[in-house]
Amino acid sequence: MRNKDAFSSCHPLVNFLFFGLTIGFSSFVMHPVSLLISLICAAVYNIYLNGRRGAYLSVFFMLPVLLLTALVNPAFNHRGQTVITYLPGGNPLTLESVIYGVAAGVLLACVICWFACFNAVMTSDKFLYLFGRILPSLSLLISMTLRFIPRFRVQLRQVKDARSFIDGGRKGLFGKIRRAATVVSVMITWALENGIHTADSMKGRGYGLPHRTSFSVYRFERRDAFALLWLLCCGAYLIAGALRGGFYFGYYPRVSSFSPDPYFISVQAVYLALCATPLTLDHSEDLKWKKLRSAL
Amino acid sequence: MKTVKTAAAALAAIILSFLICSCAGKGGEARKCTVSITCETILDNMDKLSDEKKELVPEDGVILAETEAVFYEGESVFDLLLRVCKEKNIHMEFENTPVYNSAYIEGINNLYEFDCGSLSGWMYSVNGDFPNYGCSNYSLKEGDAVKWVYTCDLGADVGAGMSEQGRDK
Repeated sequence: MRNKDAFSSCHPLVNFLFFGLTIGFSSFVMHPVSLLISLICAAVYNIYLNGRRGAYLSVFFMLPVLLLTALVNPAFNHRGQTVITYLPGGNPLTLESVIYGVAAGVLLACVICWFACFNAVMTSDKFLYLFGRILPSLSLLISMTLRFIPRFRVQLRQVKDARSFIDGGRKGLFGKIRRAATVVSVMITWALENGIHTADSMKGRGYGLPHRTSFSVYRFERRDAFALLWLLCCGAYLIAGALRGGFYFGYYPRVSSFSPDPYFISVQAVYLALCATPLTLDHSEDLKWKKLRSAL
Repeated sequence: MKTVKTAAAALAAIILSFLICSCAGKGGEARKCTVSITCETILDNMDKLSDEKKELVPEDGVILAETEAVFYEGESVFDLLLRVCKEKNIHMEFENTPVYNSAYIEGINNLYEFDCGSLSGWMYSVNGDFPNYGCSNYSLKEGDAVKWVYTCDLGADVGAGMSEQGRDK
């Protein structure tokens, strides 16, 4: 399968470690500066990978999620010193809970965006390459599940097209429902049978047996060693920073202010460097490619 | 000149009394009681409080000094607290518990239950007694002295008797 970008062509271990770190940090760190860093990097990388579809996800899916959490949090959480007004129930509506809601929404959007990138980069063969030996059945199950929805979509379109020739004559609401029911029944049968076929054929090929070897196209090069070292260093520094409270930010009872002391800046800078790793790699490769082409 | 002044004063007095009467006529009869909100027990347990909450505790532990407040007949301790907190701009969060048919005060002035150890929270006393039921079920009477106090030890440190039953010895 063609690689989507330079980062995708790295060793699967590098890819997986990168997403493990970014998704891990993005789902726990609530500091506004870190949130902004993560969101921008994830959105830009998603658009770089998925093009227009990535931009579509960013705007039409992440914005509603953000707005929803910003609205839901103040409805249930009344902590905070700045009372804006009182809700009909009698509890206060506080500025802090609104701000916290927005921050939580951004966090959610970040994680969704990183997972969109993860799906584009970590193809199922990469996943199986990494975990096929250690957790054979689980990794097969995960990769089958991840592939299920796109395959289901394609199959659904085919079945629908085929059915439209057979019973296109049925009109009206009930005709529509009956047509849809047939399609659903066909799809479920197909999905179950397909699952059994896949499992049988993997078993027939000796998948998961102790002495079985498998072909893979991945080679651990020097570049991958550097990338791995870089990710490990960043990860270690950030985990140390998190333990020392470098990412701490209090929203209740009052939104805390942060002073830009050198340690704080260094932690955030390393976080930015980590999140932007694939982008810088892609950018430098693009520049190299342009240079080579102009030299011809 | 003097007659004008006395006439004006009399007019003002009439208008004022009229206003007061019309206000009282709205919902039940207006009565008076006193209310105070204190968290003195936290001062002895500052080490249990998280750093960002420390600035919320007043130096003498008094969030609202004993003040006279107006209530209308049939109102409960909870109604009084809700109104006083809105008037004085004090943050207060409650939760309605249908089982006890009462509101439960989770936090006042951003000091919440369990903020100062696992035995901490808000309690109320009326005329020195701690009623053993929810604050929405206590109907106020003229001249009642309502005290909202923060306990760090299930009420034992503020003089509530129920703590003896609540704790395993």
